[in-house]
Amino acid sequence: MMQRRGWKRWLVALAVLHGIIGCAGFFAPYDPAEQDRERPYLPPMRIHIVDTTGHFHFRPFFYAVHLRDGSFDQFEESTDQIVPLQFLVSGARYRLLGLVPSRIHFFGAPASRIYLLGSDAYGRDQLSRILYGGQISLLAGLLGAGLTLFFGVLIGATAGFYGGWKDGLLMRVAELFMTLPWLYLLLALRAFLPLSVSPLRAFFLIIAVIGVVGWARPARLVRGVVLSAKERDYVRAARGFGAKDGYLLRRHILPETSSVILTQATILVPQFVLAEMTLSFLGLGVPEPVPTWGSLLASLQQYSVLVSYWWMYLPALAIVPFFLGYLGLASALQQDAGIEKIEKATSGVR
Amino acid sequence: MSMARLSTFGRWLSCGLLLAGTGIFSRPARGVPRQITLSEELLTLPGELGKQGGRLVVSLRAEPKTLNPLTAADAPSREVILGAMQADLIHINRATQLTESALAKSWRVSADGLQYTLKLRKGLRFSDGQPVDADDVLFTLRVYLDENVHATQRDQFIVGGKPIAVRKVDAQTLVFQLAKTYGAGERLFDGLAILPRHLLEKPYNDGKLAQTWTLATPPNQWAGLGPFRLKEYVAGQKLVLERNPYYWKQDAKGSRLPYLDELVFLFVPNADAQVLRFQSGETDLISRLGAENFSVLSRQQSGYTMSDAGPGLEYNFLFFNLNEPGEKTPPDLARKMKWFREVKFRQAISAAIDRGAIVRLVYQGRGAALWGPVTPGNHRWGNSAIPRPVRSLEKARALLKEAGFTWTTGPNGEPALVDTDIKPVEFSILASSTNADRTKMATLIQDDLKQLGMRVQIAPMEFRSLIDRVTQTREYEACVLGLVSFDADPTPEMNVWLSSGGTHLWNPSQTHPATAWEAEIDKLMEQQLAAPSFEPRKKSFDRVQELLAENQPMIFLASPDILAGAKNSMGNFHPAVLEPYVLWNVEQLYFKDAPGNSRP
Amino acid sequence: MRYFLRRLMQGAFLLIGVSILTFLFSTLAPGNYFDEMRLNPQISQETVAALRAQYQLDRPLPVRYGRWVNALLHGDMGFSFAYNSPVAPLLWVRARNTLLLTVTATLIAWALALPLGIWSATTSGRLPDRAISGATAALLVIPDLVLAIGVLILAVRSGWFPTGGMASAAVEGLSPVQKLRDLAWHMELPVLALVLSALPTLVRHVRAAVAEVLDAPFLRAAASHGIPRRTLLYRYALRAAANPLISLFGFSVGTLLSGSLLVEVVMSWPGLGPLLLEAIFARDLFVVIGGVLCSTVFLVTGNFLADVLIYWADPRIRSRVNA
Repeated sequence: MMQRRGWKRWLVALAVLHGIIGCAGFFAPYDPAEQDRERPYLPPMRIHIVDTTGHFHFRPFFYAVHLRDGSFDQFEESTDQIVPLQFLVSGARYRLLGLVPSRIHFFGAPASRIYLLGSDAYGRDQLSRILYGGQISLLAGLLGAGLTLFFGVLIGATAGFYGGWKDGLLMRVAELFMTLPWLYLLLALRAFLPLSVSPLRAFFLIIAVIGVVGWARPARLVRGVVLSAKERDYVRAARGFGAKDGYLLRRHILPETSSVILTQATILVPQFVLAEMTLSFLGLGVPEPVPTWGSLLASLQQYSVLVSYWWMYLPALAIVPFFLGYLGLASALQQDAGIEKIEKATSGVR
Repeated sequence: MSMARLSTFGRWLSCGLLLAGTGIFSRPARGVPRQITLSEELLTLPGELGKQGGRLVVSLRAEPKTLNPLTAADAPSREVILGAMQADLIHINRATQLTESALAKSWRVSADGLQYTLKLRKGLRFSDGQPVDADDVLFTLRVYLDENVHATQRDQFIVGGKPIAVRKVDAQTLVFQLAKTYGAGERLFDGLAILPRHLLEKPYNDGKLAQTWTLATPPNQWAGLGPFRLKEYVAGQKLVLERNPYYWKQDAKGSRLPYLDELVFLFVPNADAQVLRFQSGETDLISRLGAENFSVLSRQQSGYTMSDAGPGLEYNFLFFNLNEPGEKTPPDLARKMKWFREVKFRQAISAAIDRGAIVRLVYQGRGAALWGPVTPGNHRWGNSAIPRPVRSLEKARALLKEAGFTWTTGPNGEPALVDTDIKPVEFSILASSTNADRTKMATLIQDDLKQLGMRVQIAPMEFRSLIDRVTQTREYEACVLGLVSFDADPTPEMNVWLSSGGTHLWNPSQTHPATAWEAEIDKLMEQQLAAPSFEPRKKSFDRVQELLAENQPMIFLASPDILAGAKNSMGNFHPAVLEPYVLWNVEQLYFKDAPGNSRP
Repeated sequence: MRYFLRRLMQGAFLLIGVSILTFLFSTLAPGNYFDEMRLNPQISQETVAALRAQYQLDRPLPVRYGRWVNALLHGDMGFSFAYNSPVAPLLWVRARNTLLLTVTATLIAWALALPLGIWSATTSGRLPDRAISGATAALLVIPDLVLAIGVLILAVRSGWFPTGGMASAAVEGLSPVQKLRDLAWHMELPVLALVLSALPTLVRHVRAAVAEVLDAPFLRAAASHGIPRRTLLYRYALRAAANPLISLFGFSVGTLLSGSLLVEVVMSWPGLGPLLLEAIFARDLFVVIGGVLCSTVFLVTGNFLADVLIYWADPRIRSRVNA
């Protein structure tokens, strides 16, 4: 019984995480595209409460940093310049949840820029970029996975349930879709899009195309399950009693596929978020300076970044709770489905 | 058996003779006599003496596609073929950037600059031991110029609309006749690989020349005049070259070059993987490094030395679409092209770009800001008089105001630039998605221009799609691109500056020059081509640089340093700013810890 | 038998479809192989046009397709623009290297995934299950590319492994046994990266499939009859859960040629991956089509294999097909 509420906990956790991302403008101290050319690859700043002279400060503060002479990425703190941290400060304009215009930020420091999670190659605030990046990436992930699963289940269930030539045809088309060199199609697609299309819109269009094109794999898995499900005794029995196809699919067969679908979903959402890494490599991702998790992670592909700037790993860490949330939700749902099935089965015996 | 006995005998003999103070005999290497016969006119190279022996391993970013110099079009093939396997009549020294004698011992130019008389070295042999004579050169020119062969370098030997004519005077002497004077014509011969007639004449007559000398060629079917010859090719993995025992250069002490026994090219398709291989000691040299990887390698130096050869000849630039709008041009683009044609608009953008930040953030300071196409790495051709203004947003704003642009308030309260029709100034910059450096430049430019109230979008695009847009469909607004000169001389880049040129990127292949300044550049470029000596040529090209700086068809940005590294045991390692950056003196490279003259 | 014949026919149709569509896409993608020459100031536009004409890139699509099919029927897979040589030998050498890598990795991945997935299913909700779920989740989250580069960095830092490639530079002087050992040594890291990237998906599917049947009445009955647990799991449960797993196995076989692209590129393994990636970017048309067709052949074979296996494993399908 305890486990049945498991999925609710995961759902709440995910809702909170998505809420934070939705209000990225409030939690992020800066505009994600704002460059600070004097501070590229700045490591995360230290927050102090005690200064160098040993004085305790009630309000946390940090020291302003400057580039060491003649160096590209070595910084030192100027211990004579104390910058106190402030909360609910006015800063860059943004729209809360994309609607409400506002200038209030959760924290900030009017005197100097603060980098809690360091800065990137252009001196842009990593924290702001991670928060804003989530907005696009999560949307892309959900949209892509949703489309893929929708078409996958639709086609897979049709093929498995009706069988015969329909099955043959659909599965051949699925195979075709799985083998084609989609790279070419995507390159062609970018060529047909006019350059004046806003890059963000172009990106979502491409995600949608990949989502639609990706149905083949879930469809094959769903079909496999449907094939065996429709041979189950209770399905045959229901059919014997004259149940309609639609009813059979809805009541008995599609529920059987839920575990496969959920397993697929948990894999697909992260995959779509990460797909952007590959897309940006092809020039099909969201271009600079708009941040996305995919493009933030893409910098990790560089050996030099990997070994020199450890704080560039942080976007990867930021993504983990989301992915774990999805995976956790899926396995909780799966377990529930299992328990339900047992209960159904036992109650049937009784 | 007999070899072993012979070498024992040789050692005994040489010991005896050494005592006597003469050294006629040296040890045989692989059955080929190492002593130099009197009839050979070897080229003696100055410089540090090296030790014989050893195997040099370097990585290539892509596999070479062919061993045929005629069809080689990709960078790795050209690097391997022209750098290590073949030789030319006259060579451009990569360090001094001047021409020097190579297979041709000497050359003479007629007073009108139309006739080049070249004298071949005596005793030249291909790497399979066959002698070289003037007929091989005649054959080479014939196949390069044959339309059916489709040699990639063919256009280079068509001067003044006519192919270069060659005449044989005697077995060592050739006369090349040009239809028109060609500035520094001897530079044409650099990169013209002399081909063995005895191996290629038959395939040529059968019409199969382009398909010969693929990577699968057996080593005995291949011959060249470079320091190394083919030994083995393993698909997808490596190309192994061995010392050419007939090479025509020697060191100051009279021992035949190259020093190395073997040269191995490993195919490592990923730049980071190349760095890792170098770091782990599997490769001996590394070049074409990005600034990031260079600083990683510099930080953890152990057993190798990194070197920064200064800015190379690559120049990166931003350019706008200055094509004539046609019927097919989308109206939106046609409207924007009006801004781009406005000189003051381009000048304003040039003034607003922070070149210092590009050098600092893109190249980590290992590069040079540019205001013209000639980089500081080019010793002779730069015009020091062209202005190099510092970034000034005020100047940019003043220029825009003069051109009729004004500012309004944008949707988020920020200032927005609008044109005379109160349309906001927005455009997109194409950048190659596979070139991280140029995407970075575009990102910085975008931020620079935001401060002028322009809304710039970056459109990253895969390279070939980008070229297609710029040269074929011509539907783009602006683009960041870079060109790498093969030579310090401006002549090979004629087609970039001539308005009729296919690489005149902002408006290629014009039938008539679209503007007065383009017409003037055309005239100046023809003048520098026809001028017989350096000074007048330089004067013409200086003026071209001034015109470019005034009119800003290309807004020059920055040039990266040539960065390389080598194991500490590598001798004679002197990276140059011309391609091939580190292997240009491969015949003189040696290992300080090589076993010396005793060969295994 | 007719069932299998029909499946083979379908495979043939698939190949035709793939070849036509690949051809079509390749024309839709902007640019062609000779475009890069357009940026070389020393090559005139006429020369580029002549080269295009020589390779008949200026002909209409149906003509080019017809010629290519005709050549294919005569055993010629076309010509690589870049390599100036026939496609078939180019592909063959590299496909061999790819298969060496992927077959090894697939076998290891399945050999690990089956016991791990079953263990996870039987201990559902308890510590082993949670640990396995957590580990697979973590592996799923790490992108393949980062995984591969990470493994490579491990190689450099530890100095225990080669940093890529397939053989040491000094491999000529070795005896056959030493050569084999050298090869195995070079395979360790790419295989590790491939197994790590394939494992989580496999384990999760095995777990889901086995968990599905564990509650089935026949298994409970079997358990109550005192059949040993191991036999129960590996002989009965696994067999009952086989259908989706066999489909997945067919898919594993199908991706043998195409699944290791990234790892090959990062580890500079001389397989199809680097060749195809370069060919796609260089628009070396026939190399790409040849590569895609080879992968399609594998996919068809994989599916066919899955069909045969399901036919053999599932009596219900057998009876229906024969009926």
